[in-house]
Amino acid sequence: MYRLALNMLFGDRAKLAMLLCGLAFSALLMAQQSSVFFGIMSWTYTPMVNIRAQVWVSDPMVEQVNDAKPLRDTDLGRVRSVDGVAWAAPLHTSFVQARMQDGNFKLITLVGIDADTFAGAPAVLSQGRIEDLRLPDTVIVDEWGAALMGRMGVGPDGKPRNTPLQVGDTFEINDIQARIVGICRVKRAFTGGPFVYTTYDRAKGYTLGARRTLSFMLVEPQKGVAPAELCDRIERDTGLKAWTSDTVIWSWGERSLARNTFWWFWTNTGIPFSFGTAVLLGLFVGIAISGQTFYSFVLENLRYFAAIKAMGAGMGVIARMLIVQAFTAGLIGFGLGAGMAQAIGRVMIEKGMPPFVMYPQILWATFALVLGISLVSAVIGIIKVSRVDAASVFRG
Amino acid sequence: MSRLAHTVAVRATGVDMFFGTPENRVVALKQAGFEARRGELIMLVGPSGCGKTTLLSVIAGTLTPQAGAVEVFGQRLDGLGQEALTAFRRRNLGFVFQSFNLIPTLTVAENVMVPLLIQGRPFDEAHARALAILDQVGLKGREEGRPNALSGGQQQRVAIARALVHEPPLLICDEPTSALDKDTGAQIMQMVRDLSRSPERCVVVVTHDHRIFRFADRIAEMEDGRISRVVDDPKLLDTTHL
Ligand SMILES: Nc1ncnc2c1ncn2[C@@H]1O[C@H](COP(=O)(O)OP(=O)(O)OP(=O)(O)O)[C@@H](O)[C@H]1O
Ligand SMILES: [Mg+2]
Repeated sequence: MYRLALNMLFGDRAKLAMLLCGLAFSALLMAQQSSVFFGIMSWTYTPMVNIRAQVWVSDPMVEQVNDAKPLRDTDLGRVRSVDGVAWAAPLHTSFVQARMQDGNFKLITLVGIDADTFAGAPAVLSQGRIEDLRLPDTVIVDEWGAALMGRMGVGPDGKPRNTPLQVGDTFEINDIQARIVGICRVKRAFTGGPFVYTTYDRAKGYTLGARRTLSFMLVEPQKGVAPAELCDRIERDTGLKAWTSDTVIWSWGERSLARNTFWWFWTNTGIPFSFGTAVLLGLFVGIAISGQTFYSFVLENLRYFAAIKAMGAGMGVIARMLIVQAFTAGLIGFGLGAGMAQAIGRVMIEKGMPPFVMYPQILWATFALVLGISLVSAVIGIIKVSRVDAASVFRG
Repeated sequence: MSRLAHTVAVRATGVDMFFGTPENRVVALKQAGFEARRGELIMLVGPSGCGKTTLLSVIAGTLTPQAGAVEVFGQRLDGLGQEALTAFRRRNLGFVFQSFNLIPTLTVAENVMVPLLIQGRPFDEAHARALAILDQVGLKGREEGRPNALSGGQQQRVAIARALVHEPPLLICDEPTSALDKDTGAQIMQMVRDLSRSPERCVVVVTHDHRIFRFADRIAEMEDGRISRVVDDPKLLDTTHL
């Protein structure tokens, strides 16, 4: 009977197409919006990705990575003396204005890393060498920043063209010259503009006004010491706050600075609300279109369901037929919608660094919601069919 | 008496059936009694609104009357719950409707398979039996087409195949020919007669159509919610008022 149920569904091409459109659109909206949401949210802890270290140490009041509260330089020594610390390096991060050659100002994320160890240096340099940072007045800029801070001019075809900054170009930070010796490839950030790497000591110079410049300490545990364990020791011995650098926001590791940053933005901004609204909208649109279409499919077939009932099919069998129909449509609709969301995501990724992270969890959740929509549709149909009287088959 | 009891297929006695609210009620059956035997084709005739369809529904177990006893092949239907009634219909009944009620999105063969699949038979077995009976009703070659591509007479033949594919002991037909022209109607009735003939099977046909009376073994005439008379020879029935 379930095979016939499917044939009934596939026999009505127009209804099926409409049903699938509704389900697919809703799956697309939910999956795509969630992926963009998590993409944007992943930008909030970009420093954790771009500045690589196993353990981060901060002021006890720090709640998230974009909000550094300066430490004393002497704290570095206290951390270094904690048992299990292999080394600890200073890190400066701040948001400052950079002045371009044409006089324009751009907000940048200034990152000052330890010149001896280069702890926290970018993973990939597309141009230049990290060692050149030891030369005077030098910085390394990320690719996106190089384009953002580039020069607008007119191309050979007469159209406006942007020439990205290159190695050898210069700009100014607080009237001090910054000469580019490398271009790196890093993840884009939610706040603070492009990443500009320099040495810790030079960062002090660039931010002349600041009294204290030690934002975080990057710590490497000795062999055999787990980062979380080392965090405990650092906190116990120094009273500072220590974090692990894992960026899996799904794990419930309280020590992860990325995860804490994620949840800080979750609770303190309107981002989850606005995206949550879009996801809810997808859900409602799905329920409305699919529920409505499935209902009209059931209405159209009501007399046949009544006939099947008269011929001796119990409500259990009919309910399962309707569930098979609704869930099959749900499955296909989900496949189409999720596929489209993936395709859109891929296009976005090819166009640059998009806020798009499609976790498997997003797909699972979308799948569950689409099946929920199908279930609602099936239940509406089941209620309708259960109310129809088997005796009605003899009328008209 | 015992021989008679053995041949009785359907017996309804003192059946009352009303519709509507107590203030505004329509009496469809009033102390109706009816009997049909194994091996016969009995027609139920009478003016519009006299309660033919209602009586048929009561016998089929799709309507439960307010009063009276209904017995089909020794099984009392009054007092059975919905589930038991459904199971009863699944095992014992074949239906032919005035408006065919073939599912348009399924193929002809799939439509015929429905009663077998409801009984839980395997798909392939059901398919094979559907093909065999479609051959018997002269629709070989149309099995995989859609019902809507067939003429009215052909559609009703599909319905007959569907009604008999699971070999039910009781075949119930409500106005099987009224959507068809005269010749087609006669062919359909001939087919019902030929295919359903079996010493164990009872066929009840509700009809307005006096042109098909000749296919009946007996005719029960209804008036105002009850059987007014039963005629053993259809030729004796005065059809002028129908
Ligand atoms: N579901 C219902 N609700 C209300 N009244 C009904 C219902 N079914 C039948 N009736 C009424 O019961 C009476 C008998 O109806 P029934 O359909 O049995 O007559 P019928 O002899 O089959 O008529 P026809 O020849 O027109 O088909 C009619 O007055 C009809 O209006
Ligand atoms: Mg009727």
